[in-house]
Amino acid sequence: MPYEPKIIAYLCTWCSYTGADTAGIARLKSPANIRDIRVPCSGRVSPEIIMRTFEQGADGVLVLGCHIGECHYNTGNHRAAKRLPVVQALMAYAGLEPERVRLDWVSASEGERFSRIATEFTEAVRALGPIHWKISERKTRFVWAQEPISHRYSAFSDEQPKHAVYFTSVHEQHTQAIRSIATELLSNKQVDCVIGYEMGPRGRTRPAFIHQPEAVERLVWNQDCTHNLTAYLSKKLGWGTDGGKKKQPDRLPKAAVVAKPCDSRSINVMLAENRFLREQVYVIGVACDGIRQEAGFNDEKSGPIQTRCAACNVRTPVVYDTLIGEPETTYREIPPEHIYPGIEHLDAMTPPERMEFWLSQFDRCIRCYACRQVCPMCDCPICLYERDDSLWVGMSNDIDEKRAFHLGRAYHLAGRCVGCNECERACPMDIPLSLIHRKMAQEMETIFNFKAGMAAVPPPFVTILGGEENLP
Amino acid sequence: MNYLTRQELAAWLDRLAQEQTLIAPIDVAGNILYRPVKDTHDVVWDFTRSFMSVKEVFFPPTERLMLIEKMGAEIKLTETLPDEKSIVFGVRPCDARGLLTLDSLFIENEPVDPYYAHRRENTTLIGLACQSLGPSCFCTNVGGAPDDPAGMDIMLTVSGGGYVAEIITEKGEKISKRFPVFDGLSDIRPHPSSARKQGMKIASKEFWPAKFNDDFWAETAERCLSCRICAYVCPSCRCFDVRDEALPGGDGQAQSERVRCWDSCNGIPYRRVAGGHNPRFMKNQRLRNRFYCKFYYFPIHYGPVSCTGCGRCIDACPVNVDITEVLGYMGRR
Amino acid sequence: MTDQLNSNPMMPYLGKLVEVKDLATEIKLFRIKMQNGGAEAFHDYKPGQFAFVSSFGIGEAPFGIANIPKNGGNVLDFAVNRLGSVTTDLHELGVGDTVGVRGPMGNWFPMDEFKGKNLIVIGGGIGGAPLRPVIQTVMANRNDYKFFQILWAARNPSLLVFTDEYDEWRSTPDTELHLTVDQADSSWNHNVGLITQLLESVAPSPRNAITITCGPPIMIHFVNRVLVDKLGFKPEQNYVTLEARMHCGIGKCGRCNLGTKLVCVDGPVFTMAEVGALLESFL
Repeated sequence: MPYEPKIIAYLCTWCSYTGADTAGIARLKSPANIRDIRVPCSGRVSPEIIMRTFEQGADGVLVLGCHIGECHYNTGNHRAAKRLPVVQALMAYAGLEPERVRLDWVSASEGERFSRIATEFTEAVRALGPIHWKISERKTRFVWAQEPISHRYSAFSDEQPKHAVYFTSVHEQHTQAIRSIATELLSNKQVDCVIGYEMGPRGRTRPAFIHQPEAVERLVWNQDCTHNLTAYLSKKLGWGTDGGKKKQPDRLPKAAVVAKPCDSRSINVMLAENRFLREQVYVIGVACDGIRQEAGFNDEKSGPIQTRCAACNVRTPVVYDTLIGEPETTYREIPPEHIYPGIEHLDAMTPPERMEFWLSQFDRCIRCYACRQVCPMCDCPICLYERDDSLWVGMSNDIDEKRAFHLGRAYHLAGRCVGCNECERACPMDIPLSLIHRKMAQEMETIFNFKAGMAAVPPPFVTILGGEENLP
Repeated sequence: MNYLTRQELAAWLDRLAQEQTLIAPIDVAGNILYRPVKDTHDVVWDFTRSFMSVKEVFFPPTERLMLIEKMGAEIKLTETLPDEKSIVFGVRPCDARGLLTLDSLFIENEPVDPYYAHRRENTTLIGLACQSLGPSCFCTNVGGAPDDPAGMDIMLTVSGGGYVAEIITEKGEKISKRFPVFDGLSDIRPHPSSARKQGMKIASKEFWPAKFNDDFWAETAERCLSCRICAYVCPSCRCFDVRDEALPGGDGQAQSERVRCWDSCNGIPYRRVAGGHNPRFMKNQRLRNRFYCKFYYFPIHYGPVSCTGCGRCIDACPVNVDITEVLGYMGRR
Repeated sequence: MTDQLNSNPMMPYLGKLVEVKDLATEIKLFRIKMQNGGAEAFHDYKPGQFAFVSSFGIGEAPFGIANIPKNGGNVLDFAVNRLGSVTTDLHELGVGDTVGVRGPMGNWFPMDEFKGKNLIVIGGGIGGAPLRPVIQTVMANRNDYKFFQILWAARNPSLLVFTDEYDEWRSTPDTELHLTVDQADSSWNHNVGLITQLLESVAPSPRNAITITCGPPIMIHFVNRVLVDKLGFKPEQNYVTLEARMHCGIGKCGRCNLGTKLVCVDGPVFTMAEVGALLESFL
């Protein structure tokens, strides 16, 4: 039987659905492959719905809304206009041909236009052939047979990873500076807690929470200070979602945090999202010369720097109350094409190859959620992908669920992820998560000229679901 | 005992792989994992410790308990017990100890869990003694040893260019019969492993209640991320969640499956009930529960301590929450 | 079929809904007729035990069994409050639909030990459901027990459960029924106030008495405080049934522990002395 594509069309009730009706009344031919779903507004079509539509077996997804400027809800279709290209780019990157998703505008009277677009789209999808996105055998194991691409890959693609040059005497100076600021802040009771780094008994650097001035000698600064400590801020400052801790009415908690340039960008994103007030956090910014790969997992003193550091061109924290260190000692010129390392390899593959690649990476995922827990941005009361009713994704270890989780999370982080790469470091299975998040960052910069966290401003559009939508 | 060269071992395993499922350690993107293999071509022979433990084979991350079919108001349930015969090669003593710990929970404690029990019954374990202890290993501190054959059906010890093989159980006997390499006995005996670790006494059960409300738990938990890595890599952690999940239905019958999946008491929603009440909503309560469960609650209910000293959690934790630090604290007076 | 089900503790028995009725706002009573061997499994469960009810397609959740065995365990009552995914799905079902029941599980109220004593049953909201079999046991064996007091509470009148049985309870010999709501409406003509206030005003004597409380955790806590601090009861005299999130109910999944005790196997019935000795708080 020849392949007949299954197309789901999300039509907004005010314009495009009526437009489809008009086409029907005028007896204009539209392909029978299209199944309409009526939504109040094209802005209602969230990327999670689109991804799920493909998971369920659609060959193509068509989203039609009112023309820009004519939305019944004024700006609903603006949302669609901003989101859809990003979600298309994400799914293309994961191996879905971008031609399978189309966003267009059809008004209530444009029956002909509806018919034309529907026919064009159906033919385009038919030409692509049956979709391979939906995985029929969910228990299959996927193994990538080719040359591995992982976070270990150097930013300078043909070269071996650069060995780091750690300015160890500078580290000692930074350690003393951090300790002295911490002593001052804690003695004056300017903050309740200083969040910094310490060395554990095994010689591994790890987060430290100093509550008394007597304990500041625990604080250190070295090439293993990899953790993004701002992830602890929301809860420490009393605004977190951990069991609904009540805010103290008389005095807001305050904390100081040692922040590398990448970490400081997280603070801006969190401020823009009203996670806490600026006056609650004292930022001890540190100009950083790069963090070692394997930091936090062993006690070696030297080694190649992390890929994100090799590609980093934000050498001074973007928000700070005190700055330790000078960027000049740490500055390296990075050619623009190396800011987003690894992506060009994937972009050069065909969609089926990309899909194979990502399936083989997600195959190893054990759904430990370390990537989510370590991320400062991931702070929803109940993660969409962990709902008790398995509405979006179930809890099992099947490959389609893991892919849905990771791609969904990548979308939710678009415009918010600052590229600290802690998710990738924390991942026990070495899944190259940064390759997705950096891709999203690249898209946001290309399409919207927006770089997350450089200032405390909201991103071009909201990617996370709001309070009511996100609770069961 | 018998002596096998590496080639003889590989040939024997290749033959077995034709009759049963052979699960062996292979390299998956730099991680040593136990996976089913067609033959020994990709098997990693020299490794210290796999990333995920052998627990995966017997208590999988996701397991279907039953198939549920809805036909109108009627329901048909089909139990889905595993019945595949398999052999796991290259099991380390710490992992076998983990299985014995899970046996005390799933099999020796009524009612018997048939899914786990079937897998254990249908699987033969070929153990591989460790020649040395890794930096994070501490099996000897919890009563194990790098050459401990407990739980194995056949135990292999590296010796010279080959392996000394000790057939321990009837199951081991069964898979070694018919293979000429097991016909003649050899005088070669494995050297007892001299690898031992000093220090760190494990505090026995009685000392745990007194420290329940110490500040240590809050201090350690401050950096904990509440992810689930430690529980998932552990050979003896056993928490699971059960839920029905829809299957792509065919024939107009709505199909779903009841699955059980790994969970961890470290996760925030672990004890949250539908109304929102959560007796362990604070991180320090959850972190404390994990260690108390392993060293205090589990032994009270089922017998053994629920830790085999493999050290995986130490190496996998992104913020260096270290079980040996916890045990060191508990051991101090 | 029965053998297979008996040997696999994770497989539920099937049951048909023979009655579904509204008990209170968002609370329904499900009357389930057991099938395929279920009646045998449930032929002599005791008051206080619970079972997992499955809404196939979503999952299962533990509920206290809300009646004493009838017809050889053939029919089971459950009161279900619509709160989460399983209960919402259950509320969509009607008479004739099939559900799953797994059990009976847990320990029970030692009704034999209570013989010859005064009993005070204190129920808050849907917490009354697991107490109903206690009331039914007393009514069916009235001479075995002495003075019987039932204190029944809810946040408002529309949340009181088993209202159509109050007359039967009241008319049992030597029995008192006291009702209270936190917030009354115009039709209410009984007490208004918290259960703790009602308890203080009823002031049962601790002599030769046993109290059985079920309700939200915070209620259990404050009721026990009144009983012990103001009325002179010893914690050993106060029985409670606790809730916890559960997924296996048979002591395997490790989820429902409160310190060393597993609520599914060592409970859900505890004395407040045992609860006080727990390492962890149930609150």
